[in-house]
Amino acid sequence: MAVEAVASPSRIAPRTAVLAYLAVVGVVLLLMMIFGLTMRLTQAQWIDVPPDLFYVILTMHGAGMVGVAGIAGAAVMWHFVRRHVPVSTGVFVANLVFFLIGAVLILGSGFIGGFAAAWTFLFPLPAHSGGLWSINAAAAYLLGLIVIGVGFLLFHLDVARGILSVYGSLGKALGAPQAFGLAPEKEGPPPAVAAATMVCIVNILGILLGAAVLVISLVNLYVPSFAFNALAAKNMIYFFGHVFINATIYMAVIAVYEILPLYTHRAWKTNRAFYLAWVLSTVFVLIVYPHHLLMDFAMPTWALVLGQIISWLSGLPVLLVTAFGALTNVYRSGLKWDTASGLVFIGVAGWAIGVIPAIADGTIAINSVMHNTQWVPGHFHTYLLLGMMAMLLGFMTYIAGPRSLYGVAPTGLWLFLVGGAIFVLAFLSAGSSSVPRRYAVHLPAWLPYDRIGAIGASLVVAGTLLLVGRFLAVLRKAAQEPDGAP
Amino acid sequence: MIQDTVWAVSIVLMGLLAIVFAWVAAGADETLADYGPPIAAAYRLRTWLFAAAMIVLVAANYRSLEALPYVSRSSPPPAGPMQRVDVSAEQWAWTITPSSFSVGQTAEFHVSSKDVNHGFALYDPGMRIVAQTQAMPGYVNVLRYTFKEPGTYQVLCLEYCGVEHHDMKTEINVAAH
Repeated sequence: MAVEAVASPSRIAPRTAVLAYLAVVGVVLLLMMIFGLTMRLTQAQWIDVPPDLFYVILTMHGAGMVGVAGIAGAAVMWHFVRRHVPVSTGVFVANLVFFLIGAVLILGSGFIGGFAAAWTFLFPLPAHSGGLWSINAAAAYLLGLIVIGVGFLLFHLDVARGILSVYGSLGKALGAPQAFGLAPEKEGPPPAVAAATMVCIVNILGILLGAAVLVISLVNLYVPSFAFNALAAKNMIYFFGHVFINATIYMAVIAVYEILPLYTHRAWKTNRAFYLAWVLSTVFVLIVYPHHLLMDFAMPTWALVLGQIISWLSGLPVLLVTAFGALTNVYRSGLKWDTASGLVFIGVAGWAIGVIPAIADGTIAINSVMHNTQWVPGHFHTYLLLGMMAMLLGFMTYIAGPRSLYGVAPTGLWLFLVGGAIFVLAFLSAGSSSVPRRYAVHLPAWLPYDRIGAIGASLVVAGTLLLVGRFLAVLRKAAQEPDGAP
Repeated sequence: MIQDTVWAVSIVLMGLLAIVFAWVAAGADETLADYGPPIAAAYRLRTWLFAAAMIVLVAANYRSLEALPYVSRSSPPPAGPMQRVDVSAEQWAWTITPSSFSVGQTAEFHVSSKDVNHGFALYDPGMRIVAQTQAMPGYVNVLRYTFKEPGTYQVLCLEYCGVEHHDMKTEINVAAH
């Protein structure tokens, strides 16, 4: 189906809005990475951070990284999907404003109010501070997440509206007719539209359920008799959390579909397998979340078994469609590597490689001895840091134009890659040795893992600083370029 | 231990994938005169990879789902002696009754929490996790473990529960006989 590019009237140029998103992403990402490095240095006993502050930093790092990944993914998705469907720049900008308001509330809850219930705010921990934070601090945190959620809900509803106005149904925009052989492959939607449709479906559902449990937790703070079932709350939180963080990867991968072909001069192949992968991924992302509750023995056993099986199945579309597609697209294409293409390719590799330890953790027999060890941050940093964030940094470099590709940028790429590999391997190795995650104080036997991890984290921060610094340095000139560039 | 196997298998598979990506990246600057035959071969390879992945998936899930850690009324009793153990968690301490066992004895832990979510993780004398379950307010999770070696086992909290989370630990003693 041929669809003409459309635009929505707004006083803010779309390109400016995307660059504003990326500037916010760059600054917040660096801040959150410094929080992460601080935790690794503390665990390595190279610096001294008291436990109460450590857990505040842990909470801010988690919430901040999930939020900034969402904002980063939204920037990538919106930039490309607006070439195919009408979307509102005003709503897009409003999402960023909501994010910033929410971020201020969350940072205030932590660094002023001392809130430290982890980003997952597992019910009823926000109301049980042990005297460390007030009810109002907990409320500020929950309110901050709600505000951010409202922004994202508006954003996704607007994109879904735009998609429906062109394709008529979400199924058609996802490529379901092509996936099931009911329509010719060549009439399928472009990759950006299929991916955006999947993200809208899962995130609208996820955010609504997340908002419900946030409001319940908020009411419980002030009316303790308004109690809620802890297991039901955990299900809702992990449904929302799993869907939201995974959707950030599915948003960022649009950058791979759009940027790599510009370098290889080969169109991204959208065949039946491609559309089937997106249809299946939509279903899998929605039903796989019980793999976060494998150690909650009170859960129905069938749900936990389903969580394991779907965890294994979820890897197939990633490995055999997207990763395979990237490899065949690049294979002897005459591509001349630069920082942008290198980063998006690393992003696909990081995502694909991260599937392996993720599947391991989603297996009940393994989860019994790996759950909530450092294996968990090991696997999710593999596909979020070396996967999703690599794609984002590639997009950031690409959109800023040729001037951001050179100078310190290649050094930044190598520091990010080498440091990232050391960082995630230290986590995974520690996890296999039963080192717990989320501990402010570590045993002496665990220090070697922490120190290697801290070195890796330092390199990641240095690399990201060079990449983001280069982007910010050329931001002014990049903003002056016409809306269609690059 | 299972952790060592998982680590070794993961590293090999992750390394293989990394090598494939590095190999394709290293040869990307060459240009094929005809892209058709290699891409056709690649898609044939993908079909085989899909078939292999499905075989591994079915076999691994069938095998690993045979022995689940979840205890229900229909679970068969252990071969040896079993001791019921009541485990209560609250910020930031464990109450475990009784807390002394013998090698070969099966402990059936009934794990609950008085306040927030905690994680009951049993570490063997070598400080490796041998079993775990969540401690959740309003629920009792039942976990069985048969002690295989004597010594001092540690119970650590593996679900973040507040500022003393890292210090929420206790010991279990297991005698040789």
